[in-house]
Amino acid sequence: MSQKKISRRELLKLSGTVISGAILASCTPASTPTAAPTEPPAATAAPTVAPGATAAPTVAPTSAPPPKAVEGNVVVMAQRNELSEDQEAQFEAENPGITIELVEQSTERFFAMLAAGAQLDLYRTQAPIVPSLLARKLLYDLTPYFEASELIKIDDLADANKGYWAESALEVGSGKIYGMVKDFSPDHTVWVNDAKFEEAGITPVDDTTPMTYEQWHDLANQVAKFEGDRIATWGFGYSNGWIDRIWMDRLAETGKSLYKDGFTKIDFGDDTKALANYFYTVAKERLCESPVDASPNGWAGGDFAAGILATMQYGYWFGGMCETDANRGKVRMLPAPTWSGVHQDPTVTATGFVMMSGTQVPDAAWKVFEWYMGGQPSIDRAGSGWGVPALKSQWSLMPNTTPFHQQVQKVLAGELAVSNVKLQYNPFLGEGSFYNAWNTHLNEALTGTITFDELCSLTEKDVNTLISEGISRMS
Amino acid sequence: MNRRAKDLFIKRLNRAGSYAILIVVAVLVVTPIIWLLLSSLKQDSDYMAWPIHFLPINWQWINYERVFTLTPFVKIALRTAVLGISCSIIVAITSAMGGYAFARFQDVNGNSRLFRVIIVLLIVPGIVFMIPQFIVYSYVHLIPNTYWPWILGALVGSPLFIFLYRQFFLGFPKELEEAAELDGCNPFQIFWLIILPNAKPVIATVLIFAFNGIWSDYLQPTLFLNDQMQLLGAKMATAFVDPHGNALRTVSLAATVIYILPLVIVFFFGQKYILKGLVTSGLKG
Amino acid sequence: MAATNVVSARRPPRSSSRAKRRSRTFYLFITPWLLGLIFLTLIPFIFGFVISLTNYDGINLPTVKFVGLDNYIRAFSDQYVSFSIGRTLVWTAFNLPIWLGLSFLLALILNQDVKGRDFFRTLYYLPSVVPAVAAVTVWKILLDKNNGFLNGVISLFQPGTAVGWLTTYALQGMTAIAVWSGLGGGMVIFLAGLQNIPDELVEAAKIDGAGSWQIFQYITLPLMTPIIFFQLIMGLIGSFQQLVYPLLLATVTGQYVSVPPRSIYLYMIHTYQQIFANQRYGYGTALLWLLTIGVTALTLIVFWSQKFWVYSGDIPETEGSS
Repeated sequence: MSQKKISRRELLKLSGTVISGAILASCTPASTPTAAPTEPPAATAAPTVAPGATAAPTVAPTSAPPPKAVEGNVVVMAQRNELSEDQEAQFEAENPGITIELVEQSTERFFAMLAAGAQLDLYRTQAPIVPSLLARKLLYDLTPYFEASELIKIDDLADANKGYWAESALEVGSGKIYGMVKDFSPDHTVWVNDAKFEEAGITPVDDTTPMTYEQWHDLANQVAKFEGDRIATWGFGYSNGWIDRIWMDRLAETGKSLYKDGFTKIDFGDDTKALANYFYTVAKERLCESPVDASPNGWAGGDFAAGILATMQYGYWFGGMCETDANRGKVRMLPAPTWSGVHQDPTVTATGFVMMSGTQVPDAAWKVFEWYMGGQPSIDRAGSGWGVPALKSQWSLMPNTTPFHQQVQKVLAGELAVSNVKLQYNPFLGEGSFYNAWNTHLNEALTGTITFDELCSLTEKDVNTLISEGISRMS
Repeated sequence: MNRRAKDLFIKRLNRAGSYAILIVVAVLVVTPIIWLLLSSLKQDSDYMAWPIHFLPINWQWINYERVFTLTPFVKIALRTAVLGISCSIIVAITSAMGGYAFARFQDVNGNSRLFRVIIVLLIVPGIVFMIPQFIVYSYVHLIPNTYWPWILGALVGSPLFIFLYRQFFLGFPKELEEAAELDGCNPFQIFWLIILPNAKPVIATVLIFAFNGIWSDYLQPTLFLNDQMQLLGAKMATAFVDPHGNALRTVSLAATVIYILPLVIVFFFGQKYILKGLVTSGLKG
Repeated sequence: MAATNVVSARRPPRSSSRAKRRSRTFYLFITPWLLGLIFLTLIPFIFGFVISLTNYDGINLPTVKFVGLDNYIRAFSDQYVSFSIGRTLVWTAFNLPIWLGLSFLLALILNQDVKGRDFFRTLYYLPSVVPAVAAVTVWKILLDKNNGFLNGVISLFQPGTAVGWLTTYALQGMTAIAVWSGLGGGMVIFLAGLQNIPDELVEAAKIDGAGSWQIFQYITLPLMTPIIFFQLIMGLIGSFQQLVYPLLLATVTGQYVSVPPRSIYLYMIHTYQQIFANQRYGYGTALLWLLTIGVTALTLIVFWSQKFWVYSGDIPETEGSS
C-alpha cells in the first residue's frame, strides 16, 4: 500500500523529534553559568581557612602559601528584579570561581527544597520570620564573617538589622548575627494625597507632629467620598497583610506584647480588643480595602498611585512609586501616628537575607552576601529611593533633590530616630497564619454572619490552636 | 409544496437564530479581550480609572517595549516553544497508543481495572504530588537544571489525553481495522497506518492542548527549574514588577497579549486540521 | 463474501491464542503509560498519602510525627470543611450546565457551513488561551464593585450603583469568568467529535426524509454521547478541584493569605489555606485525599450510569454501502 511508504518517512521524522527532545532535555544551555548541572554539593567548594581565623599557630606567616581562592556554586532564593543577571555577571567577573544560581522566590519551592535536601545557600526572608527559622535550626551563624569583614562594619549597621540578631528563637534583638536587611523603611509613616484633602475642604495635616490613630480615623471619615453605594474616594489605607505586626508595634508602645505565657497564647485582652475594634470599624465604615470592598487597583498602594486613596500607611519605600500624574506635587509623608501617645516607628518587614545552616559552601555564599549587602548593589539600591540603606554610612546616598524628596527625608530623619524598637515575633506561628484567621473571620463579621465579639473570640481560638500546633511540631 | 415552504422557513429561522446566538456570544466574549488590549496600553494609574476611560489617556506603547527589556522575553519564549512543540508531539503519540488500547481491547483482562486507575489519576489534585515529585526528581538529579521532567511526562502519556483518545476511538467504525487485519497487518501497522491518519481531529486537539499546557504551566517550572533555565509561564508571574516587587499591572497585561499570540496562532492553524476526518474513505476503496 | 467465509472458518480454533495475542498487544501499547504510572506516579502518590498521616508543616522534617488518621478524622468535625463542600456543590451545579450547554450549542452551530466559521471559532477559543491571572485582572476591571465597567453602565440608569459582582455575588461573577475561559476548550472538543460523524450517515438520513431535528436526535446526539460523557467527567473533576479563580479573586491578599468572598469559599481554597497559610501540610494533604475519594465515588456513579445513555458501539452501516 502506498500508505506504508509515507509511514516510514513519518516514523523517521517522529524519531527525530524524540531524539531532539532528549538532547534538548539533557543539555544545559550555554548561558548557564553553573559549572555542572547536577553535581552533589560536596564536590564543589574546597574548604578554605575562614577569614581572620588563624591556622596552626606555630607556622611562621612569611613562608605560608597564599590562601586558596574561594570557589563554589551558590544557590540564592531571591527575586530576579532584585538581583539582575547583569549584577550576577559583574560579581562572577570579579570573583572567578564563584557562580551564582538564582531560584525565584516561592514558598512551595522553599518547602520542597527543604524536604528534598536540595542545595540552598542564601534565602531572602523577613525579620519577623527569623524566630521561626531559628527555632527550626535552619540558620547559619554569620557572626565570625561579620567580625572579619572589610566591607561591612558591625557598628555601621542600622538598628533595623537587629531583627536578624538573636541569642535564641525567643531572644531576638541582640546576640549572634544571622543575617542582614537589604534595605528597610520605618513602616508606619502615613502618606497623604493633599489634593483629596483640598477637595473635602480640610486643611492639610502638619508633618511635624505625629497625629493619633483617632485623629487619623476622623480624618479618613472626613476625606472619604461616597457616590450612592460607590466609594469614590477611599479614606484609609494600611497593610492588611501585616495586621499582627501592626498590632504588636502598637502594643509595644507601652511595653505590652500580643502574646503571653511565653508566646504560647495570644493575649486578647482589652488592649488587643481595642485594636481589633479600630480596624474592624474602619473596614465596616468602608473607609479602607476589606474582604467586602476589594481594592480597584489590586492593592491599596495602586489606589494611592491612581489618586483615589487619601491616606496610606506604608514605609519610606513607597516614595519610590507613589507619585504619578494622578497625584503629582500633592504627596507628602507624615510621621507615624501614635496609639498610646508614644511615637515610635519600627520597621515591619525588614526584608533581607540569611544563610541556610545546611550550606556546603559557606565561604562562597558569604562572598556573595557581602557583595550584595555592602558592595556595589547596595550602593545602587541606596540611590534608588526604594529603601533606607542597611548601612548608616550609605544614608547620605538617598535621593534628596526634589522638594518631594526633601519633605520625605525631613520626616524620615525624625522616624529613624525612633525606629529602634526591640520586637520579638512568635517563633511558633507560621508566616500567614494570623492574618488568615483574622481576615477569614473579618470577612464573616463584615457580611453579618458573626458579631464583633465572636470575631475576637474565634480569632483568638484559631491563633491559639495554631501556636500549640507549632510548638508540638517543633519538639 | 407546503412542506417545502415550511422546511425552508424553518431552515431560515434556524440560520437567523444561529447567527443571532453567534453574534451575541461573540460580543460577550470579545469585550474582555478588547478591554485587555486597551488596558495594556494604559498607565497603571489609568486602567481602573473612574469614570471609565475607554481609550488610554497616554498610549503606553512603552509597555510593550518594557516587556522585552525587563526580562529576556524572546530567549525564554523560544526555549519554551521548542520544549512545548517536542513534548506535545511526543505525548500526542504515546497517549494515542494508550487510548487506542483502552478503546479497542475491551476484551483483555485488566483493561477496565487499569482504566479506572486513569480516571482516579485525573481526580487526584496536583498539589498532592508537588513536593513528593520534587523529592523524587531531586534524588535522581533530574532537577533543577534539566527539562527531563517534561520529556518523561510526555513519553509516558497523559491520563487526560488517553481518556480523550479512548472516547474517540470508541466511536470509530471497526470495518477499517478488520479489513486491515485480514490483509495481514499487525496491530502496530494498523495503529500507524489506519488509526492515526484518521484521527486527525483528535490529534490536532491534543497537540493544541498539550502545547497550551506547557506554554501556560506555571507551577511545575517554578518548582523544578532555576532562573537560568526558566520557562515563560513561570516568568510571566514574576518578571514584570517594580524594584520593590509590586506588579506593574499594565506591563503585565502587555506581556499577556504577546504571550497568548503563539497560542492563538497554534489554534488558528490547528483548527484547519480539525476537519472532516477521512474515516469513510477506506470503505469505498 | 469470500473473505467472510475465511474469517468464520478461521475463528474457533484460534480463539485462545488470539486472546493471548490481543492481551500482549494491549499491554504493549500501554507500556509507556504503565512505566510512568509506576515510576513517576505511584511513588509520589504513596509519599503524598504518607504525608497526610503526619504533622508535616513544610519545614519540620527532622521532627515530624505520625498522627495516624487524626487528620482525616479532623476533617469531619471542621465546620469549614462542610461549608466549603456546600459552596463547591453549589458552584458545580451552577457552572457546569452553563458551560456544557453553551459550548455544545456553539459547536453545533459552528459545525455547519456558516459564514465566518473560522473567525468565530478562533474568537471563541481566544479566552481559553488567556492565562487565568490576566483573565481575572481584566474581569475585575469589568466587575469591580466601585470602579467597574458593568456598574458604570448600570449607573447610567441608576446612579450610585455598586453591586458586588465579585463580593456579594461572587458566585455569579466567578461563573462568568469560568464560562468565558472554558468556552473555547469545550467547544473544540465537541467540534472534533461532531466532525467524526460520517457524512454518509447524515446524507442517507436526509435522503430518507429526516428533518434536522430528527438527525440531531437520532444520529448526532447518540454518537456524541461518548464525548459528552468525557466533558461531563472532566467538568465535574474540574469544578470540584477549582482553586485558581477563587484564589485570584481573593479580596484580601498578603504573601500567603488568600481570603476570597464567602460565597466562593470552595473546598480547594480551604485546603490551600491549611497548607500555605496555616502550614498544616499533613491536614491539607488529608483533605486532598478525601476530595479524591469523594470525586472518585461521584465519577464511578456517572460511569455506572453510562450504560443508560452513552453509545459505545459501531457506527451502523448504512444501507447500500459495501
